[in-house]
Amino acid sequence: MVRPETKPDDVHGMLAANGILTSRGGRTSHAALVARQFGKPAVVGVSELEIDMDARQMVIDDLIIKEGDWLSLDGTNGIVYLGQLPTVVPDMSNPYLLKLLSWADKFRTLEVWANADYPQDAVRARGYGAQGIGLCRTEHMFFETNRLPIVQRMIMAKYAAERNEAIAELLPHQRSDFEGLFRAMDGQPVIIRLLDPPLHEFLPAYEDLVSELDDPKVQLQHFRTMSESDRALEEIRIKSAYLERVEALRESNPMLGTRGVRLGILLSELTKMQVRAIFEAAIACIKEGIDVHPEIMIPLVSHVNELKVQQTTLEAEAKKVIEENNGIKVPYKFGTMIEIPRAALTAGEIAEVAQFFSFGTNDLTQTAFGISRDDAERGFLVDYQQMGILPDNPFATIDQEGVGKLMEIATTHGRATNPNLHIGICGEHGGEPKSIAFCHNLGLNYVSCSPFRVPIARLAAAHAALANE
Amino acid sequence: MQALAIAPEEKKSSAKTKYVYLFNEVEQAEAKLGGSWDKVRSLLGGKGANLADMTRLGVPVPPGFTVSTEACNAYLANNQTFPGNMWEQVLDAVEAMEDETGKGFGDPQNPLLVSCRSGAKFSMPGMMDTILNIGLNDEVAKGMIALTKDARFVYDLYRRLVQMYGSVVMGVPDEVFEAVITAKRKKAGVESDSELTAEDWRVMTGRFKEIYRTYTGTEFPSDPYDQLKLATEAVFKSWNGKRAFDYRNAAGIAHDLGTAVNIVTMVFGNMGDNSSTGVAMSRNASTGEKEIEGDYLVNAQGEDVVAGIRLTEPMSSMKDGMPELYAQFEEIAAKLEKHYRNMQDMEFTIEQGKLWLLQTRDGKRTAQAEVRIAVDMVDEGLITEKEAVIRVKPEQVDFFLHPQLDSEAIKTARTIAKGLNVSPGAAVGVIAFDADLAERWAKQDGL
Repeated sequence: MVRPETKPDDVHGMLAANGILTSRGGRTSHAALVARQFGKPAVVGVSELEIDMDARQMVIDDLIIKEGDWLSLDGTNGIVYLGQLPTVVPDMSNPYLLKLLSWADKFRTLEVWANADYPQDAVRARGYGAQGIGLCRTEHMFFETNRLPIVQRMIMAKYAAERNEAIAELLPHQRSDFEGLFRAMDGQPVIIRLLDPPLHEFLPAYEDLVSELDDPKVQLQHFRTMSESDRALEEIRIKSAYLERVEALRESNPMLGTRGVRLGILLSELTKMQVRAIFEAAIACIKEGIDVHPEIMIPLVSHVNELKVQQTTLEAEAKKVIEENNGIKVPYKFGTMIEIPRAALTAGEIAEVAQFFSFGTNDLTQTAFGISRDDAERGFLVDYQQMGILPDNPFATIDQEGVGKLMEIATTHGRATNPNLHIGICGEHGGEPKSIAFCHNLGLNYVSCSPFRVPIARLAAAHAALANE
Repeated sequence: MQALAIAPEEKKSSAKTKYVYLFNEVEQAEAKLGGSWDKVRSLLGGKGANLADMTRLGVPVPPGFTVSTEACNAYLANNQTFPGNMWEQVLDAVEAMEDETGKGFGDPQNPLLVSCRSGAKFSMPGMMDTILNIGLNDEVAKGMIALTKDARFVYDLYRRLVQMYGSVVMGVPDEVFEAVITAKRKKAGVESDSELTAEDWRVMTGRFKEIYRTYTGTEFPSDPYDQLKLATEAVFKSWNGKRAFDYRNAAGIAHDLGTAVNIVTMVFGNMGDNSSTGVAMSRNASTGEKEIEGDYLVNAQGEDVVAGIRLTEPMSSMKDGMPELYAQFEEIAAKLEKHYRNMQDMEFTIEQGKLWLLQTRDGKRTAQAEVRIAVDMVDEGLITEKEAVIRVKPEQVDFFLHPQLDSEAIKTARTIAKGLNVSPGAAVGVIAFDADLAERWAKQDGL
């Protein structure tokens, strides 16, 4: 996308575009900030570029470039080329890079783990040097096409028996997911986070249902055959049921609603199913001689009592599974996300129950600032940065004075209760060099980031360690 | 920075203070400053320290000297007069240069020409720029023509001196000089300066001197020592120029650092086919491969390489054309790399078969090259594994994970503009001038 400059109205185009070019603006212009936020290559402030919006063309020197013409941008060096240049993906198997990273590993003390939801991601992460899985989001497994109908049936069920039937149907799927992860991470820890998002996310959107329902109702008046109208009636019946449930589940602020541990407590059968899947998968792997280290993580905890409830549920179910399998021991850990300020502030109590903490710095930043990321990044955050109110985007690099302070409190109080408390971070910040240095100085055990950022994190962790020498 | 503040007892004995350091006297400066290279850089400025350092390494640097930042501070504090016997020290240094080059400053039979450049500890805009060819006047020019048999070359040098001196030292607008050249080109019906004749340049030199007189009310100084003195003072004064002052405020650079002045023997890459000038890296800056990479021009001046008027030749053809000089260059590059423990970006000139290094600094490079050079240098024993790890920035690893424009394709592609590199990576696509269209096209593309 080429613009003289960009405004908040242009964000949807910037997100859709491969790259961004502007003729005006500097390093803190809207275009620059948004491009960096969304990882879009961008070149800004090309003042010799004359953009003629009426003629839908731009002129540079004597060259006229029309809308629809090909252009190639090098955002790394700020150069604009005419035409469609070929691109190359320099790969991670570069022998020089591998050697350098192996040296970095010798100097760093911070471990680097990866966020991975599927076995293939875990394999990739391990190939890039990850030492564990710091976050497996189980909800991603629920969205797969062959499972979503079962999940929807579970949510739509009117009676407990019906619901438990659907949950039981999900069990083998989850078990095979976890088996795949454990196999890929033989010998390394795998942190599995129990279901986190609000249930309505698994159902069709409210607005879609309303408009879809209008359609067959109108059509119904025009159908000629009985079967046509029967089909339409059936559709209306199903969609009306969905709508009813979606309306019931509708929350005015789902981010702060019935999700995370709250959902796990209310739907304890679901928690039990997930725990059972984890332990059955672990035992199956142990039987094959695989070295498994599952760690079960509870999301969105704000009070130690929430964790206690889940611990009781987990231990009872785990005990059952182990007994069913002739007492095969599974070396597991039980821990929690720290992503609500109250959890950070009461970390001393929470550490009496949790064996590990993982900072979810995305939610912790949202809740500490009291802002939602989507609204902020598409809206006022850019103004805030331009006005110098915030030096950086706190979702890109940890706000050390505020969010960092909460992390420090949680680490200090948590370790005071349990000196062996294992602490890491699994937000996107875990792959950002400045935040990694902060985590190192805080004395965290590991950072967990997307598989692609693992090599960057390995080097950043080494830099953090060497900086203090 | 404080180390440079002059202690009271030193002030009293400023007659004995050493203000001028020949490039081969860097050890004296180091001894005086307790062996601290950072303090040497404060005293001699970045450029002066670099030239002296190269000289010490045995790299051929044109003979010259540095007038210290201490002299600059004293000059500015002392109502714009040279401190102690600074000027006598300059004269001694010029004599040493004459001895070393076998030429004479102002001697028409065998003239020594010098350049005068500022050199603060940190490079900054607004400081006085370069003046070349100091030492030329009518007599010297005549002598040089007899010596070189190239009147065009000599008058081109001479007019450059008057032009630079006029604009840089005396503040005559440079456009006035340039307008004369443009008019001359038009009149002669030629496109470029290189097509103008010796007579053209001779006439223009005279015209430049008239302009100088009109704007300054004084004659262009014909005494080489006057030229040297005024140029040195101009550098000192430029330290307190408004732009330099504002820049230091903005960049947080101390105002009491002062600038040094570097006086260097002129060497010419345009004295025939056994002369050339160029810029080269000690390793390939895109891939990091261990090979000299760069461009040079035979029988040309440095600015011709930069201006891109003539097509440059790759260093590899120097290997075939001038194998001995190339071998010497390779040896120097290795020596500089070993000393600075980093890939070097070097400016050089060959004057009638003799190679001179004019500058060296750490070279800019791609992320890929950074990684390879760091690893190779550990294997070569130049740096430790720790240094290699610290040298590569985590963000540079990003390069290996995202698509980049093909480096071969870039060479032949048409660059249409340069802007600010605010978000890394490569993007290739068709232009959309508004967000809605960009979104629509992206969706169609996705289908």
